[in-house]
Amino acid sequence: MSSDATTLETEVLIIGGGVTGTGIMRDLALRGIHSLLIDKRDLCAGASGGNHGLLHSGARYVSTDPGAAMECRQENALLKRLAPQCIETAGGLFVAVEGDDPAFAEQFPALCRSAAIECEELSPGEARRLEPLLSEELFKAYRVPDATIDPFHLAMANVDHARLINGSVYRPHTEVLRFEVAAGEIRAAICHDHLHNRPLTIRARQFVNAGGAWAMNIARLAGCADVRLLYSKGTILVSSDRLAQRVINRLRPPGDGDILVPGGTVSLLGTTSTRVDDLEQVAPTAEEIDRNIREGAAMIPALAGARYIRAFSRVRPLLQTVGATDRAATRGFALLDHATQGVGNFCTITGGKLTTFRLMAEKTSDLVARRLGNDQASATASVPLPDDEASSWADPAAAPKRWRHDRDPDDMILCECEMVPQSAIEQVFASSPDIEKERTIELIALRTRAGKGPCQGSFCGIRIGSWLYDQGYYRDATGLAQMRDFFDERFKGQRSVIWGQQAAQMELAEALHCGLLGLDTLGGDQ
Amino acid sequence: MAETAIASINFKEAALKLLPEGANFEACLTCGLCSSGCPASGIENMDPRKFIRMAMLGMDEELSSTPWIWCCTLCKRCQYVCPMSIDVAQLVFLARGNWPEDRKPSGIVRSCQLTRASDSTSAMGMPPADFVSVVEEVLAEVRATQTDFQQLRAPIDKLGAHFFVNQNSREPMSEPEEMVPLWKIFDVVGADWTYSSKGWAAENFCMFSGNEEAWREVIHKRVDAVNELGCEVWLNTECGHSYYSMWHGIERFGLQANFRLESIVTYYAQWIREGKLPVNSQWNSRGTKFTVQDPCMIVRKAYGDAIAEDMRFVVKTLVGDENFVDMQPNRSANYCCGGGGGFLQAGMTEHRRTYGKRKFDQIAATGAAYVLTPCHNCHSQMLDIGRFYGGRYGVVHLWTLICLSLGILGKNERIYLGPELRG
Amino acid sequence: MNAPRHFTTQLAVIGSGIAGFAASIFALNRKIATAQVGNTGAVAYTTGYLDLIGKRDGVADVVTDPWQALASLRETEPTHPLSRVAADDIQRAFAEFTAFLGECGLAYSAPGAVNISALTPVGTLKQTLCVPATMAAGPHALAANAACVIVDFRGLKGFSGVEVVANLRQRWPRLTTQRISFPGMERGEVYPEVMARALEVPAIREKLAEALNGVAGSTSIIGLPAMLGMHRPDHVRAELERLTGREIFEIPTMPPSVPGIRLRELFQQVLPQKGVTLVPQQKVTSLSFGDDGATLALSDNFGPIRVHAQAVILATGRFLSGGLEAHPTGIREHLLDLPVTQPAARADWYRARYTDPRGHPIHRAGIEVDDSFRPLTSEGRRYHDRLFAAGVILAHQDWIRGRSGAGIAIATAFKAVTEAERFLSGR
Repeated sequence: MSSDATTLETEVLIIGGGVTGTGIMRDLALRGIHSLLIDKRDLCAGASGGNHGLLHSGARYVSTDPGAAMECRQENALLKRLAPQCIETAGGLFVAVEGDDPAFAEQFPALCRSAAIECEELSPGEARRLEPLLSEELFKAYRVPDATIDPFHLAMANVDHARLINGSVYRPHTEVLRFEVAAGEIRAAICHDHLHNRPLTIRARQFVNAGGAWAMNIARLAGCADVRLLYSKGTILVSSDRLAQRVINRLRPPGDGDILVPGGTVSLLGTTSTRVDDLEQVAPTAEEIDRNIREGAAMIPALAGARYIRAFSRVRPLLQTVGATDRAATRGFALLDHATQGVGNFCTITGGKLTTFRLMAEKTSDLVARRLGNDQASATASVPLPDDEASSWADPAAAPKRWRHDRDPDDMILCECEMVPQSAIEQVFASSPDIEKERTIELIALRTRAGKGPCQGSFCGIRIGSWLYDQGYYRDATGLAQMRDFFDERFKGQRSVIWGQQAAQMELAEALHCGLLGLDTLGGDQ
Repeated sequence: MAETAIASINFKEAALKLLPEGANFEACLTCGLCSSGCPASGIENMDPRKFIRMAMLGMDEELSSTPWIWCCTLCKRCQYVCPMSIDVAQLVFLARGNWPEDRKPSGIVRSCQLTRASDSTSAMGMPPADFVSVVEEVLAEVRATQTDFQQLRAPIDKLGAHFFVNQNSREPMSEPEEMVPLWKIFDVVGADWTYSSKGWAAENFCMFSGNEEAWREVIHKRVDAVNELGCEVWLNTECGHSYYSMWHGIERFGLQANFRLESIVTYYAQWIREGKLPVNSQWNSRGTKFTVQDPCMIVRKAYGDAIAEDMRFVVKTLVGDENFVDMQPNRSANYCCGGGGGFLQAGMTEHRRTYGKRKFDQIAATGAAYVLTPCHNCHSQMLDIGRFYGGRYGVVHLWTLICLSLGILGKNERIYLGPELRG
Repeated sequence: MNAPRHFTTQLAVIGSGIAGFAASIFALNRKIATAQVGNTGAVAYTTGYLDLIGKRDGVADVVTDPWQALASLRETEPTHPLSRVAADDIQRAFAEFTAFLGECGLAYSAPGAVNISALTPVGTLKQTLCVPATMAAGPHALAANAACVIVDFRGLKGFSGVEVVANLRQRWPRLTTQRISFPGMERGEVYPEVMARALEVPAIREKLAEALNGVAGSTSIIGLPAMLGMHRPDHVRAELERLTGREIFEIPTMPPSVPGIRLRELFQQVLPQKGVTLVPQQKVTSLSFGDDGATLALSDNFGPIRVHAQAVILATGRFLSGGLEAHPTGIREHLLDLPVTQPAARADWYRARYTDPRGHPIHRAGIEVDDSFRPLTSEGRRYHDRLFAAGVILAHQDWIRGRSGAGIAIATAFKAVTEAERFLSGR
């Protein structure tokens, strides 16, 4: 293996492109420290992209974990101020319906007060006026300052800001295979570049493991056995329509199907929680889907008959503590400096939640900076996240709004469901990481809303594919293979919720993709 | 003066209320059949699918204010070709009604105001007395100059007449002699009919303006007028939206109509079948080719193909089977001409002609020398786009050809015929 | 509300997909008075290709001889609907169906001994039995590796000549591509449907021919996205060939595509002319059987309709057309709640991978019929002597992966009409 072409150098290598990893990248950049962020897939491929996008008010934790509740309350306020472009200040309701424990409902406001979380009681009538689809069985409702946050937008904005500040670099599709450790320090990470299918060596002074659920595996590559995680599988459904304007929480101890979070034009219903051992093979089961819907319908009866377009399961890392249930007392985060493991320039940040990602990044960066002899304090609690155009294409209706404003009839809409025009894709290309010289459907799908609507990419995948051929990005059958892979990937999220209208949509899609285009027999069609 | 702001409608919510389950915006497969088959696609960068998607994406402000809603002619072809039968027009109608009066196309608003201004319900503002005197003058002229019709009648306010006949204002206002062929047809078949001095007019731009209350008021006046005269049949003459606005309005507003609603086309066909209208195609010895335009308002939106078949029977009898060329597509699948929905009065000429290009191509493909249509908006629009795009076809009312075939068409009743048929 | 309109007929066909229309055509040819009802939207999604069998389960290779595949299907899948119709009848059914279309102005290649390798909009090939005459020259040119230029259009989404060429290059080195503007539609999005209708106008054909000649150079064969007219495609193609002096063929596009709309408009126009009572675009809300016949209830814009028939063919299709409904609790037949053979649990409906070459079990779900194609109850008895079924609502087939949608529709419609005729005449 020749060295130069496949070796990269940086001050800090961050492993894991979730919100925490990107947050660390930005935090370090603000302190003047250069970093390289890698992910074996792409931004938010793990739990960061697999949650409801809830920006907790903290109220959810007042009964189980007042410390976490207060952390959430503080971060919620900070992020609303500093990253408003990624946040919808939707507000939230906690509602109790017939059958729920009235005593739990009664003590809720006091618990919120002690965590300094705003909580206002609404009459059932007021609550139903705000959210007409709420159950008539509702007997108690409180308003809290929940909000929603778009993790993709957030991660992209973090990366873009870091790149802008000091040229820090993000590389997707780069997986750590092992570490070169010598004299109590990691010298290099030996990686595989999946995009170009070649090995890659990354040298750095500090190594940060922000691998989320994969953090235990990554730590072990460096011989560190002190990261002990449990894996909790959570399943969430996405409805094709937004059924409530606010976050709707069930006013009872945390359980299945107890939260409905708006996400732009859709709603996300969750979450079931199941212990799993396998990190890679997680998919929603029919039983989890049905359980979520059954429980959710107690709050919002329309959930029973709603059109769902996706369901996904992601594994959340839970810090192993003795005797606690998965739902309780394990949502905090941990920063492990691995000093006891004999590795001096490595640390692992794991656990935690989307709402507290900034705080996790700050604590991690504090450690890394100190080790590098950098005494600058974190600036992420005061410097606003810049609003940049390319990352905002991930926002619902951003593309069509701009498209309508520009009024260029030759700017074709390629994704009709979410109304994503060519120009949006061109802009995304112009600002995407340099490594991705290859312009693929996959990349477009991650960075825009393309493929997120009711047809789930079945039509626009073909239109975008044609466009990519036209632009010269595809020159051979690779384009068809990637088109097929894109449909296969989208399908994973659809598979468990195909009934009703979605069965019709899928039948049409499959007739087109397989019956006509023959994507199920690529390479073997004659 | 500052323009009044256009309030935002929550379209998704409105669709949920207005459209049936299973045919709601949420049922959309985003396949694009609607837009592919809509002549208004592309105008103002809009189309029916974009309308649905923008509603679902919550772009209420944009949808509430797009001028496209005045270019959509509410023809419901998108619904007709939609596998899920999603009705976009209902929401477009809602958006129209939501525009402040001072922002709506002034031509439509003015026509509605005039319609409401007198008991005539005439969009051209012709008062009852004027209508009566025009009818009387024209009748006197015919009796005096056409020897075969010295006894011709044009009854007004005749109690208990079988047919209450409506009249598009364009004839009494600007081409009164065009009323005569219809009177002659009634004379030939011996129909017991009457005009009314009240509620005689056909047009209803209040419906197109999206003003429900005004629409109701106009229909109410007309229903009252028919009820008062005790007629058995309200006979809609050659005007498309008149039928739809009355037929749909009566149901929509729950009005009490003690009469049936019928289209003159049905009766043309019936009278020919019964031998009461002894028409044939012998006059067409030159083999002049004809096509027909199916008005959306009476075919797709009301009767369906049944009346389109009646119309073809009438036309084929009149011009000869071999001289009839169907427009493609046709019947319920026909395109709106682009004159409907108030488009002709909306002052958006360039858009209207862009829309009408589809119709022009359809007509051009037939190679026909004439288009027949029982609708005034279709008639005017097809004449306009014919001139604009350099077509060489004429547009004719059915009554003209019927009288031509019967040999009773007066010299001054031929303004829409070409020189070869002016005789 | 208007009073119900009543229609009385011998045979009522419910469903207006290929199966429903084929049933009406066969009934018409047998002089059976027929009424056909049902939403015809989904026909517009078809490509115009009429497949019989293009692929066998678990076999990687494509099917080149569908008749042989049919014979082996009888061995391996005796419950497959195509295994339950005699091969001769299938051949006859295709011949009768395509002949009818030809008489109505939409010429088709006759069903042959082997499949045709037909072109797709992404440059892959598809095995099919019959293709519209407007598309026939493409496969010939491919087989001969003739010099050919694919011409596509500015503003037409989802169809790229570059893509077609890139994916066919290995097999068809002499294929090239050019892009032009459609005359009069130089800006903004263009739809194949709009171009097709415009090409019905002689003057526009002349302009397009000029534009085609401008880019075709010395190439004597031109491939276009499917847009060669809507109502008279054969005439439009002949005229364009005359004007350009070149051979011209079309390739189906992704929905909404012209060949599907052609079929829909042809059926809707021709069948009523030939005496079929057609109520398109409306779904039947109820079907009931009495001693003297069956009654269908539905409504159109104008009001309620009742159809009284001696026999009924159920050809309501699957999920897209509404014949079957997938509920979280199971798959149901929509109109009569006939029992549906289906996977044991919802979790088994789909395999893990979308493009798994084995296909998904949900598509094999459907209703059961006896040998006379009468639907069966859960006890295995006929639901009613007057009720027959045809098309992809039948169980034990995967029309998508088998590339056999039209084949199942046409063959089973033929069979159902034959049986219905026997029933009607036996009285």
